[in-house]
Amino acid sequence: MKYDVIVIGSGPGGYVAAIRASQLGMKTAIIEKYNELGGTCLNVGCIPSKALLDSSEHFHNAAHRFAEHGIDIDTLKVNMPQMIQRKSKVVDRMNKGVSFLMKKNKIDVFNGFGSFVNKTTVKIAKDDGSEEQIEGDKVIIATGSKPTLFPFMNHDKKRVLTSTEALSLTEVPKSMIVIGAGVIGAELGSVYARLGTEVTFVEFAESMIPTMDSSMGKELLRTLKKNLKVKANFSTKVTKVENKGKEVEVTAEDKKGEIVTFTAEYCLLSIGRRPYTDKLNLEAAGLKTDDRGRISVDEHTLQTEVPNIYAIGDVIRGAMLAHKAEEEGVLVAEIIAGEKPHINYNLIPGVVYTWPEVASVGQTEEQLKSAGVAYKMGSFPFKALGRAAASGDDDGLVKILADKTTDEILGVHIIGARAADMIAEAVTAMEFRASAEDIARISHAHPTYMEAVKEAALAATGNRSIHS
Amino acid sequence: MAIEMKVPSVGESVTEVTIATWVKKDGDTVKMDEIICELESDKATFELPSEASGTLRIVANEGETLEIGALICNIEEGEVKTEEKVEKPKELPSEKSDDKKEEPALSPSGEVESVLIPSVGESITEVTISQWMKKTGDIVKMDEIICELESDKATFELPSPKAGVLTILEEEGAVVEINVKIATIAVGASSNSETKKEASKSSEEPAAKLANSSDSYAANHPSPAAAKILQEKGIDPKNVDGTGVGGRITKEDAQNATRVSDISVKPREPEPQKVDTKPISGSTTSISSDERGSRREKMSGLRKTIARRLVAVKNETAMLTTFNEVDMKPIMDIRKAYKDKFKETHGVGLGFMSFFTKACAIALQEFPTINSYIDGDEIIFNDFIDISIAVSAPKGLVVPVIRDAQKLDFAGIESEVVRLATKARDNKLTIPEMTGGTFTITNGGIFGSMLSTPIINAPQSAILGMHNIVERPVAINGQVEIRPIMYVALSYDHRTIDGKQSVSFLVRLKQLLEDPMRMLLSV
Repeated sequence: MKYDVIVIGSGPGGYVAAIRASQLGMKTAIIEKYNELGGTCLNVGCIPSKALLDSSEHFHNAAHRFAEHGIDIDTLKVNMPQMIQRKSKVVDRMNKGVSFLMKKNKIDVFNGFGSFVNKTTVKIAKDDGSEEQIEGDKVIIATGSKPTLFPFMNHDKKRVLTSTEALSLTEVPKSMIVIGAGVIGAELGSVYARLGTEVTFVEFAESMIPTMDSSMGKELLRTLKKNLKVKANFSTKVTKVENKGKEVEVTAEDKKGEIVTFTAEYCLLSIGRRPYTDKLNLEAAGLKTDDRGRISVDEHTLQTEVPNIYAIGDVIRGAMLAHKAEEEGVLVAEIIAGEKPHINYNLIPGVVYTWPEVASVGQTEEQLKSAGVAYKMGSFPFKALGRAAASGDDDGLVKILADKTTDEILGVHIIGARAADMIAEAVTAMEFRASAEDIARISHAHPTYMEAVKEAALAATGNRSIHS
Repeated sequence: MAIEMKVPSVGESVTEVTIATWVKKDGDTVKMDEIICELESDKATFELPSEASGTLRIVANEGETLEIGALICNIEEGEVKTEEKVEKPKELPSEKSDDKKEEPALSPSGEVESVLIPSVGESITEVTISQWMKKTGDIVKMDEIICELESDKATFELPSPKAGVLTILEEEGAVVEINVKIATIAVGASSNSETKKEASKSSEEPAAKLANSSDSYAANHPSPAAAKILQEKGIDPKNVDGTGVGGRITKEDAQNATRVSDISVKPREPEPQKVDTKPISGSTTSISSDERGSRREKMSGLRKTIARRLVAVKNETAMLTTFNEVDMKPIMDIRKAYKDKFKETHGVGLGFMSFFTKACAIALQEFPTINSYIDGDEIIFNDFIDISIAVSAPKGLVVPVIRDAQKLDFAGIESEVVRLATKARDNKLTIPEMTGGTFTITNGGIFGSMLSTPIINAPQSAILGMHNIVERPVAINGQVEIRPIMYVALSYDHRTIDGKQSVSFLVRLKQLLEDPMRMLLSV
């Protein structure tokens, strides 16, 4: 069988690329090694974690917040199997949705492990041991990423877990050590902390979510400590993780270089992810990876060194985010069709689904400082916002960084209820290079969380926030 | 940079002024709007304010009589800070002006100058902003042209009254009345690079500046959809006029953008003979040769006015055309015989226009309805003959007027034609110079037209169309001879002009032109 485009991997980058290619009139095939489409995001990432985050948030609210709202509940307990089952249903529904989309767009789906035979031929090794080869003018590599692991971490999938296993626990752990307080660690740590697990973060960097604006990490840590009683150890380097049967022992070096040990029922390894190109047989196509396992691509076209092969998502440079991969999937399909799309990587928002949520776009204050950009900052706390007070979700703040001279918005950082949705306004505004005053002069409905963005913009414009 | 100051138009029918007194001396430092000289016309005296700050260089001396538009003096622009003046007054012109070109930004003064619509002529109460040459946030120099205005009669260029950062208040296409503020200039406000240096002052300061400069950085920034379209068209966003806020490029802008094959965007001084048949130059340019396609341009205000008026004339008059032919041999013989002597004596060439204008003046006096207007239920008969001449100007057709043609001799007519045509070409015609004709002559022959039916220049009642001169065989006294022949056409408003008058008028013209001696003798 000969295709115009073959996509390897059906995650949010791959399946979106396939749909767009098909929309543009190309005969398209997609290869997925698992039985279900959707990749990490849909099966063991964004969607299931969000399902559990919301379930656990409901429980947390019922346990700790309902009374304040005047709702008393006598007996409250977590039904973990049901919670996991619901999560599975959500995932199943999404899987079916993607399958439907493939059918609708007349995309041929091949289940099996895809690997290159040569630059235009891909072999599919199926579960039943059979093999099939398909040919394509163009091949898009969208194989995603896997959790980063070191041998000394002894990942046993029983007590020492990655995010994948942590999404399918059938009991609520009494205690859990989360190694790595980045996005994944913060999110899954939150899930279990809300369900009553005693969570301890061990992080090599100096703060939570260290890649984001430092004010976000500080605020997040404060609220997690306050609401979920988490503990955190920064500048601490893990040297050993050991399953001792009933518990896990983590050995680390602290700031001062002293050896410290932590013990808990479970340990979650969330130190990051690596591009997943194992057994893809890149060499047969004439490709290789860089020192970090990534496939190098042209900055604008995402074309690899082999002209008919493109790569998108977690296997190439840039943030490992589903929506980044989606944009790249669309871009590559359009590039192949002869169009000339462009992605503004600076304006791909980053989101952390803790509660409060964290979301940001553009430059952090630290980046502006080190680049020597003259900027001004305006921030607004949710405490001063009517809607936040009414809902009882008044943790967090909106912070807007704008060019000191032109007032152009350079970065927006939000921590608070619904930050993940709120960031969209900032992205839109920045795509149009709006100034802080532009946002400040746009009507925002009342009472909404979005008013905090307007107030922060007012603060950035000339320190003239109305409500603080 | 030196600013050329010319005699301004001081009123209808005033064509020249005398320099009564120089208030300032040559080499004096003058400020913008400071009175530098007094002018006298036969009607009144006028004070002439300086158009710029700088050093005065007098060109025309006291007692000299100058035509409107003639050069009076130059102002060599420069900083007029007194302490600098004292130190090195002579070095100002060259060095300082060069500095200003690169960094016109002075230290921010906080002063905001309003840009008002100037009075451009009697009876003009409103103008259309046809084009902004500068964008909000642009740094403009004093007297740099910032926008073009159009009335239904002419276009005008509007110079900046001050150096500073421009903020546009009225968009292109807006119809504004005289003295309305259309923009502000933050005097001496500085460019980004400069403000950055002193950025760490008070927190209030940047906010105060925003109103003036916030838009500038985003000019030509395409929206995400626009960016993709431009990329695919191979157009650099820099070459697209953004109509979005602050000059941003919208999707529509990108869709309407066409590729510029070479960067010869909009010649400022196109060849006057050629432009007439072309559309008025707009902001977009030609399509490169390897592309087929069409493009859209906004009609300029002048073009819209022309279009509206022409249709109105066709709809509201009973217009028809009568034709005749003129044997040009006698005129050509006269020209051949006298053109050198004429030039030597009068300083202008002897063209066909003087013959035609003179002949029309004589014939119009004999057929007064052709020189009349309809006004409601009345007919206005004019006992003077003001002949409008259609002239191609860069922006389109204009019709300056030769006043009292019945009183002018051939040399007088020729010099008026030259003067008006030159001003038309340079876009310098004033409104009074274009209003009030009683009859129009148009010459399609210069473009090669053999025969046409011109449209009346309302509210006039008739128009004469001249055409090319072609050697044709004609029967002269029973013999076939080759003669230079011009077809002439007279379009007229049949409501007031009967066929007898129009045909007789044209026959009379033919008679006068074929036997110019009759003009001399008035027979």
